[in-house]
Formats: sequence, structure tokens, C-alpha cells
Amino acid sequence: MSEKIIVQIDPDLEDLIPGFLNNRVNDVETIRSQLDSGNLDEIRILGHSMKGAGGGYGFDRITEIGDVIETAAVAGDLEVIRDAVDQLADYLARVEPVPEA
Amino acid sequence: MTEQRAPAEGRLLVVDDDQDMLNLLANWLGNAGYTVTSALCGTDALGQIEICKPDLVITDLFMDGMDGMTLLTEIHSRNPLIPVIMLSGQAQIPDAVKATHLGTAAFLTKPVEKSELLAEVARHARTERNGATSSGFGSELIYRSSVMSELLDQAEMLAGGDITVFINGETGTGKEVLAKAIHEASPRSGAPFIGVNCGAIPEQLLESELFGHEKGAFTGATTKHDGLFQAADGGTLFLDEIGDMPLGLQVKLLRVLQDFEVRPVGSTKSVPVNVRIISATHNNLDKLVSDGEFREDLYYRLNVVPLNMPSLRERREDIGALLDHFLVRHAQKNNSKTKRFDPAALEYLTAATWPGNVRQLANAVELCVTLTKGEVIPLAMAQKALREEPGRIQTLKEAKQEFERKYLISVLRVTSGNVASAAAIAGRNRTEFYKLLGQHGIDAGAFRGEREDGAETS
Repeated sequence: MSEKIIVQIDPDLEDLIPGFLNNRVNDVETIRSQLDSGNLDEIRILGHSMKGAGGGYGFDRITEIGDVIETAAVAGDLEVIRDAVDQLADYLARVEPVPEA
Repeated sequence: MTEQRAPAEGRLLVVDDDQDMLNLLANWLGNAGYTVTSALCGTDALGQIEICKPDLVITDLFMDGMDGMTLLTEIHSRNPLIPVIMLSGQAQIPDAVKATHLGTAAFLTKPVEKSELLAEVARHARTERNGATSSGFGSELIYRSSVMSELLDQAEMLAGGDITVFINGETGTGKEVLAKAIHEASPRSGAPFIGVNCGAIPEQLLESELFGHEKGAFTGATTKHDGLFQAADGGTLFLDEIGDMPLGLQVKLLRVLQDFEVRPVGSTKSVPVNVRIISATHNNLDKLVSDGEFREDLYYRLNVVPLNMPSLRERREDIGALLDHFLVRHAQKNNSKTKRFDPAALEYLTAATWPGNVRQLANAVELCVTLTKGEVIPLAMAQKALREEPGRIQTLKEAKQEFERKYLISVLRVTSGNVASAAAIAGRNRTEFYKLLGQHGIDAGAFRGEREDGAETS
């Protein structure tokens, strides 16, 4: 069920990765609470940032999910956002960054 | 604000309101050897400019508070020579166009690849240093564009030898400035650089100007006169508008280039000369040769290494930097405060066609600065400057060519691109008509069908 997702990362970024992933965990929380209060603009910005930085850190999946969240926030599609945020939470719980040799 | 120690390859200022993105960019660039200063907002970045004196700025486009576009304008009002690379999360073409018009060095879309970013930074940090320092090659040439960067790289390589260089380019593009840069980077830099416009001097006078004359060689030759070849001995002779040199003189020039000896008018003795020749023209010399107006043997003698000076339209990304350069230069010359263009004026000037190229741009800036009382030059003034800038008077040949081109386009428009009908209207046979179209680079096919805008290829 909760199989690990191994992601090879740039060793130069090793020190930055825990902080980056932790910020995404915070994003999950923020987006869920903003979904309740209907603040789609805040959600769009978070999605946009994830999209911009995810791939750079080696997490293409985060870029993909960020893209979905941003697009859905613009379209006002709460269902898609909820689903994407669940996928992000699941990904964050399972991802295991491994520095490339 | 963080500072990473690195070898002094260049100082970069990175601006992004997303801390994770900022960390990522600073990490990539720091590990590549740059000294990186980071800022989380535009205001912070402007404060840092004075302190860290960056060689290049990388900024996000969409940021809370001051956005990247405003930051770009603000940075260039302080120092027009700092290249700015813009990053955007959305690939919006209008944004990219506007950023280019405002003088951004590169526009990259997030998520950005590390290799792509490093390549752009390396390219612009390097070209801009070349353009910004007064000791580097071609320091008089202001540019950010890759087309100019490549041209200057090539010219710099040629400078060291004695190779004959031929520069082709429209009027006002800076052909003489390039020729001078080559001279100054050459072992001949201690000797004179002499430029002569072969099209501006009557044939008789040009001969004695170039080769000199003996006392009494002709009416009015009251003293002996050393020509420009002798004056440039040891240095470089720049023959501008070589395409306008009369045929009679072309053969004499060819002889000089073969023997490196000049024989002054009225003299029986030849004098050895040691000059490097750089020639230039705005004409299509290939065509002049095929029309029999320029000697083929001279053409090959001059056109050893051709360099093509791009028109301002072909290097639009340099317009912002050029405008700023002339604004700063005017202020320095007049010991006054540097004025700047309103963003709308900047946009207008960046989109203009500039038929007179950099020379026209320099004149327009001069006019704007002189006629603007305040610190910011408004759009209306920029428009006025372009309208009133006294255009270069065309030569008869240019005027005829322009008319011919317009005529061909209008005939093709009337016939919807039907060449047979167009040729009949023009009173030419079809073969001749096709030849004319070819000469003007007009594609008759573009006029077929519904197109009313007279699209053409050139």
C-alpha cells in the first residue's frame, strides 16, 4: 500500500530537500484549509510555486501536481484541487529522496 | 538575504518571492562558481544593487509588490548595462514580448532546467562584460543580443592578424565603429586608423585623397600631398561605402592592394605602404559585381573575411540598452542628471523600424533629452522625435529601388499574385518580371488568395 517512491536527487541540493519537502507538507495543510474558506487565489499561488520549483529540486511529480492545482484554482474546480492535494499528501508521505551517486 | 562564497566568476542578484525557488537558484548558481546574493522582493533587490553591484540579475516575473517588469525598468534606470534574465511560471507570449521590448536579456519559463539557466547566465554575464567595460574588445558597441555577441567574437579573432576584412551593413549600423574596434585590438593600434567615405568624394579628388599627388599634378595642386594610404602607414585604412567607388579608381585600388605600393597623382615613382584594409558598404556588392558596377577581382581582394553588421531591427533586444547608453552619455557630456524614458515611450521606441539604425537612435535620444524638461521622457516626445528626426536623404538609386519595390507589390496586389497579369500591366515579359521579384525578394505566392496585407518575403 504505502510503497516508498525513490527519487534520485542532485547531491548539491541534499541539504535543501528536507526544508523543501516540509514546506510542501505545510502547503497541503494550507490548501485544505483554504479549500474550506474558498480562498482560491492563495491556492493558485501555492500551486504555481510548486510547479515552478518542484522539478528543479528533482520532484517532477510535484511540478505536475502544482500545475493541476494552479489550473483547477483558476477554473474554480474544487473537486480537482481536493483530489490533487490528496495525491500530493500521499506522494509526500511515500517519497524518499536519494542523492545520485 | 544570503551570500554564498564562490570564485569571482561574476556577481549575480537573484530575486524571487518564493523562498524555495530562491534557495534552488542560489544553490545552482553558487555551485557553478558565481557569487550569489538573494532577495525576496523587488524593493529588497533595488537596495542590494548598490551594495553587491551585480553583473547580472535574475528575477521572477510575478511577485507580490513590485513585479519583475517594474524591477527591470528600475534596474535599468539605475544602470542600463546590467543584463536582467526574467523567469516566469507561465509562458505568456505577450509578457515575453514586453519583457524583450523593455530590454530583458532572456525570458525563461519555470520549471527552468538547471543547464538552460546556467547557459543563459554564462552567455549574458559574458557578453555584457564585453559591452560594459571600456577596455574590452568593441567597448563602443552596446549590445545584449547573441547576433552581436557572435559578430564581436568573430571580429575579435580577426583583429590579431592582418587579414583584409569586409563589413556589410545598412547605413548607421556602426560599421566604422566595428572597423575601429578591430584596429584597436590589432598590433597596429599604435599607428593611425583613417576612415574615408568613398561615396562622398568626387572621383578626381578621391584619387588624390587616397594616393596623394605631386605639386602641380593638376590645377590647384600647389603643394605635394601625401595620400591617406601614406597617412595610415603602419595602421588601418577604412574604406567606407566602397561600393560607390568609381570603376576607374577601382582598378587603381586593386593595384595598390596587389603590390602595396601607391603612386601619387602626377608622380612616376611608387611609394611602398604598409596598411591593413577594412572596407564596408551598405550596398549588395554581389549584385554590383553581377551588374558590372564593381570589379570582381577587387571584390575578391577586399572580401577576404566578410562580417555582417546587423540592422537595429535584427537586434531589437539591444534597443533598450542603446537608449540607456545614449541617455547616460548625454548626461555625462552635459554634466546633468540622467533622464529616462517612460515605459510606454520605451515600448514605442523598441517597436520602431529604425531605418537609420543606431545613428538615428542616437539622434532621437539627443532630441528627446534636449526637448524634455522633466526627468522622464514621455511617449509623445518619443513619437515626435521619430517623426521629426530628419531622415537620411536617400540616394537616387535607393529611391528608385524603393519605388520599384512598392510598385511591384501594388501590381501584385491588384492581380492577386498572378505574375502573368502583373507582368502585362508592368509592360515587362514574365521572365523579366520574375527577375525583378527575385531582386526585391518578393514572393508572388503571398499575394494569392485572400491576403490583402501584401505579405512578402525578404
